[in-house]
Amino acid sequence: MLSALIAGLATGALYAAAALVYNVMFSTSKVLSVTTGHTAMLGGVFGAWFLQAFALPLPVALLGSMAIGALLGALTDFVAIRRVLARSDEHLWLLSTLALATMVQQAVALWWGTEPKPFPRIIPQEFGAGVFDQKYWLPVAVAIALAIGLELFYRGTLYGKLFVAMSEDIFAARARGIPTERIRMFSYVMAGAMGGLAGFAAGQLTFAYFALGLTLTLNGFIALAVGGLGSNLGALVGGAALGILSSIATYYVGGEFQQTISVGLLMLVLLLKPEGLFGTRNVRPV
Amino acid sequence: MKRPILSHLRAGVGALALLVLATGVFAQEPIRIGWLSSLTGPLSSAAIAENQGVQFAVDEINRAGGIDGRKLELITRDTAGDPTKAVNFAKQLVFTEKVHFIIGPVNSGESLATVPIVARAGIPNLVIGTVDELVDAKKYPNAFRVINTNRQWIDGANTYALDVLKRRKVAVIGDTSGYGTSSAKTAAELLEKAGVKPVYSVLVDPNKTDLADEMNKAKAAGADVIMPWSAATGLLARLLNTRGDMGWNVPVVGHPALMAPPIGKLLNKPEYWGNTVAAGYVSTTYDAKGKLPANTQALIDKLHDRLGKSEIDYMLWWVALGYDTVRIVEHAVRQAHGTDPKAIQKVLANTKGLQGVYATYSWSASQRNGFPDHQIMMNQANSFKDGAYRAAR
Repeated sequence: MLSALIAGLATGALYAAAALVYNVMFSTSKVLSVTTGHTAMLGGVFGAWFLQAFALPLPVALLGSMAIGALLGALTDFVAIRRVLARSDEHLWLLSTLALATMVQQAVALWWGTEPKPFPRIIPQEFGAGVFDQKYWLPVAVAIALAIGLELFYRGTLYGKLFVAMSEDIFAARARGIPTERIRMFSYVMAGAMGGLAGFAAGQLTFAYFALGLTLTLNGFIALAVGGLGSNLGALVGGAALGILSSIATYYVGGEFQQTISVGLLMLVLLLKPEGLFGTRNVRPV
Repeated sequence: MKRPILSHLRAGVGALALLVLATGVFAQEPIRIGWLSSLTGPLSSAAIAENQGVQFAVDEINRAGGIDGRKLELITRDTAGDPTKAVNFAKQLVFTEKVHFIIGPVNSGESLATVPIVARAGIPNLVIGTVDELVDAKKYPNAFRVINTNRQWIDGANTYALDVLKRRKVAVIGDTSGYGTSSAKTAAELLEKAGVKPVYSVLVDPNKTDLADEMNKAKAAGADVIMPWSAATGLLARLLNTRGDMGWNVPVVGHPALMAPPIGKLLNKPEYWGNTVAAGYVSTTYDAKGKLPANTQALIDKLHDRLGKSEIDYMLWWVALGYDTVRIVEHAVRQAHGTDPKAIQKVLANTKGLQGVYATYSWSASQRNGFPDHQIMMNQANSFKDGAYRAAR
C-alpha cells in the first residue's frame, strides 16, 4: 500500500507540474493549451537523447531539455495563439493548439519511434531502493520547487507582477503600456521550459515516450480544475490528489477503472465547487 | 501518291504490332496486391519488418518473371495503426485500385474494421491479426489467417507453465487495452479449463509507471509463475524491473513482446531479463546445435545478400510472415490459374501443408486459421541473436 501511495504521489507530482505550466500560460492569455503535456514529453525524450546519444553532462542535458520545451512554448504562442487571439474571441485556440500538439507528437513518433526508450539514472543510486528510489522523488521535488519558484516570481519580480496584471485585466494592462504580446510570449517560453524540466525529472518514471504528452495534458487539466485555475497551491494539491486517488483506486479495484475515477473526480469537483479547491469565484459587478 | 503512304503506314502499324507482341509490351495484367501496413504509429516496428518480407518476396517473384507471366504490383498504404485510416485505405484499394488481394492490416484493431469490408467486396484477404474473431468461414469466406491466433500463443504459454515448469499458482497480469483485456480473460479461462484457477488476476493501465503493488500482491497470493498478457513493451519492462528490484526470482511466462529487443534497453539490469519465457515459433528457434530450420536459414541468407552481412536486429518472424503472405498469393494464383476470387477461395480452402518459412499452412472449408498449433515454441526471452531465439528448457 505504501508503494501505491508513493507511486501515486510521484505521478501526481507530474500532473501538478503540468497544471503549473497551464497556469503560467493561462495567466497571460486565458488559453489552456493542448501542447502543455507535450512540453514535458519533449523534456523526457530530448533529455534521454542528450544524455545517451551525446553523453552530455547532466546540467547541459537538463538545460537543453528546458530549451526544447521553451521552444515549443514559443512555437505555441507564435503559431497557435497569436493570430487566433488577434482575430477571434471564440475558443478556436483549442483547435489550433490541438493541431500543433498532434503535429509535434507525430514528428517525435517518426523520429524517436513509437516504443518507449530508457532514461538514464540522474543521481548515482542502486536499483532496489524501493519507495526511496529517485524516480519517485525527483518529480515531487521539481513540482514543489516549481510552485515555490512561481510564487517568488509573481511576488518578487517586475515580470511576475506584469503576469499578474495581465491575468487580472489584459485590456487595462495594455492601456497602461504593458507590451502584452511580448509578455505573453515570455510566459509561454517560461512555461515550456518548466514543462521540459518536469519531463526531464520524471524521465525514469515515464521512460522517454512519444505518447506521454496527451496523457499529461488531460491529467494536468484535471489537476488544475480540481485545485483551482490560477492557484499554484491548488495545482500541487490537485495533482497529488489525482495521482494518489488513481493509484489507490487501481490498488483496490483494478486498472480498468483508473480513468473513470480520474474523470469522476473532475465531475465531482465541477459539480460541488466549480472554481476548484483553491480557486476564486469570478464575480461580475453589475 | 496517297496509296504508297497508306500502305507504308499499314505496314508500319503491322510491324509495330508484331514488335509489341514479340517484346510483350502489352503483357498480361499485373496482379495487384494491396498491403495495409502500419509503417508509422503504434506497432510500427512489426509492420516495418513485415514490409521487408513482403517487398522482398514481391521483388524475388518479379525478378523470376512473375506468376504465370504476370508481374506483381504492390500497392502499399500506411494506416499508421489507425482503424479509420485502415478502413478508408481498404475501400480505396478494393474499389479504386481494384486489387486482387489484400494483405493485412497489421493490427487486430484495424483488421476488425476492415475484414468485413474486404469480405463484402469478395476480395481475398490474408489476415495477419491474432484476435480470434477476425476469421469466420461463413461470415468472411475470403479471409484466410496466416498468423497464429492469440489463443495459440496463450495455449503454448499455459502448457509450458503448467506442464514443463510444473507451476500451479499462476498470476495473470493483463493491460486495460482491448487486446490486453481479452487476452488476460482468455488466459484465465484456458487455465481454469486445465484445472488451475489463477491465484491473482489484474488489469493494469499500459502506461502505469509502477507495478510494485501488483507484483507484491501476486507474491502475497503465493504466485509461483507470473503470466503477463500485454503487447506494451513499457509495461512489460516495468514488470521485469519490479521483479528484479524485489529480488524475487519467479518465472515470467507470456506474450511474445516479452522478448522484443526494445525491452532489454528498458531494464535496470540485463540479468532482470533472465528466467523469462515468451511464446515464439519453431521457425525462428535455434536447435540444440544452434541451427535454424532450413527454410528460415535460406531466407536469412537471402536477406544477408540483400541487406549486407550485419546482424539482423529485428524479430525475424515478422519478415518471414510478410514473405509467406506473398508466397501464399503466388500459390493461390498458380493453382487457380488466375485471379478470379471464387477460384482463389476454392484453392486456399483446399490448401494442405503449404510449406512456408514462418509456418506450414493448411486451411479447409470450415477452418480459416492456417497456422498449426505445434509450430508454437516457447523461447528464452533474453536469447535474441540474428533475429531468432533459443528454445526455453
